[in-house]
Amino acid sequence: MPRNPHTLFRGNIPAYALGALDAGDSAALAAHLKSCASCRDELVAYQTLSDSLLMAIPLQNPPAALRKNLKTKLPSARKVSNGLLTWSFGQSALAIGFVALLLLNIFTLLQMQSFQRQQARLSNQLQSEQTALALLSYPDTQTLLINSQNVTGTVLLDKDRNTAVLILWNLAPIAGNQTYQIWLIAPNGDRTSAGLFRPEADQPFTSIPIFSKQDLSGFKGLGATLEPLGGSSHPTGMRLFNVDF
Amino acid sequence: MADLDDAELIAQVAQGNERAFLALYDRYASRVHAVTLRVLHDSMLAEEATQDTFVKLWSRAHLFSSERGSPLLWLLTIARRTALDHIRLEARRPILSDSNDPDDMWQTIPDGDSLSEESRWRALYFAVQTLSAEHRQVIELAYYQGLSQSEIAETLGWPLGTVKTRLHAAMKQLRREWDR
Repeated sequence: MPRNPHTLFRGNIPAYALGALDAGDSAALAAHLKSCASCRDELVAYQTLSDSLLMAIPLQNPPAALRKNLKTKLPSARKVSNGLLTWSFGQSALAIGFVALLLLNIFTLLQMQSFQRQQARLSNQLQSEQTALALLSYPDTQTLLINSQNVTGTVLLDKDRNTAVLILWNLAPIAGNQTYQIWLIAPNGDRTSAGLFRPEADQPFTSIPIFSKQDLSGFKGLGATLEPLGGSSHPTGMRLFNVDF
Repeated sequence: MADLDDAELIAQVAQGNERAFLALYDRYASRVHAVTLRVLHDSMLAEEATQDTFVKLWSRAHLFSSERGSPLLWLLTIARRTALDHIRLEARRPILSDSNDPDDMWQTIPDGDSLSEESRWRALYFAVQTLSAEHRQVIELAYYQGLSQSEIAETLGWPLGTVKTRLHAAMKQLRREWDR
């Protein structure tokens, strides 16, 4: 007939008090102790006995030199243990290794992200330049000059394909929380957003392709304004330029 | 310093008082060394472990809490763990011989009417000596060598059930002597 769990747990208490219970049994007993007052009392009795075994050893005097040696070790021992953690040389070396590896990983990740951003930017630039070239070679493409106070440039416009490319020279740099926004201008003056852009940092000109979902023939012109990052629903900032089709 | 009790001395040590530290050393060095020697069975290693124990006392005195036991028990627990760490570090096999050299001071069994702690510890020492060889061996390996019941079974080549039964019986017998 199997013994009941309480009896089994109680039988393990002496070994537990000695610290000799195997890990699984020890965890099970620790859980049982939370709900069993009589086992807790039993443990207190055996723990007292176990602690007393440390005292029940005949005294042994250490060599006299030990006291002298200890006195020389005290200040440095205190200095080493002032913090919450005291690490050995091996642990410190391992920790430094982990930190170095982590920093290397972070650096590599940041560098990869930077390359990806650069690649995306170059890809966009290539696309807009290819679009510009394609429009230039097309006989029906309109070329409109931009000559405002803030910027000079050209609009290549193909109304049949609802495509345009803006090529803007010497754009003033803008703050990180700002963007330029392109607007298509309806005959009644209403503005429809046609995209956002920022000046190319390392180029004397910035080219921006516009692939409109709406019929460009229905608009009388386009323009651009300076807006908060993310763009606006209607123009709110400084006008960069306006050009009529 | 001699008139201060242990807890007061530890509080002084936590403040960095070397004289308090040395007073505690003078009071308990022989007890600490007895524990490290009992665990390590090697005078050189025991000396190292005793020194490490007192260095820990110096650097961790601020962590002592009287609610968790007496200063002496705290110190001897550090000594036992430090000595067991030395065994693990050295990967030394536990020594199975019983080399409990009786100390002159404890040659006589204490008077049964004595209630002092010292006499109770002395009685417990002799109670351990009067255990059967098998029972004494499991107590030795479990407590003074830090082995689990499974490790004891493996070391001695006994079935695990036999180790459990003998450890239980040995502790029960010691408890009877202790409660007497």
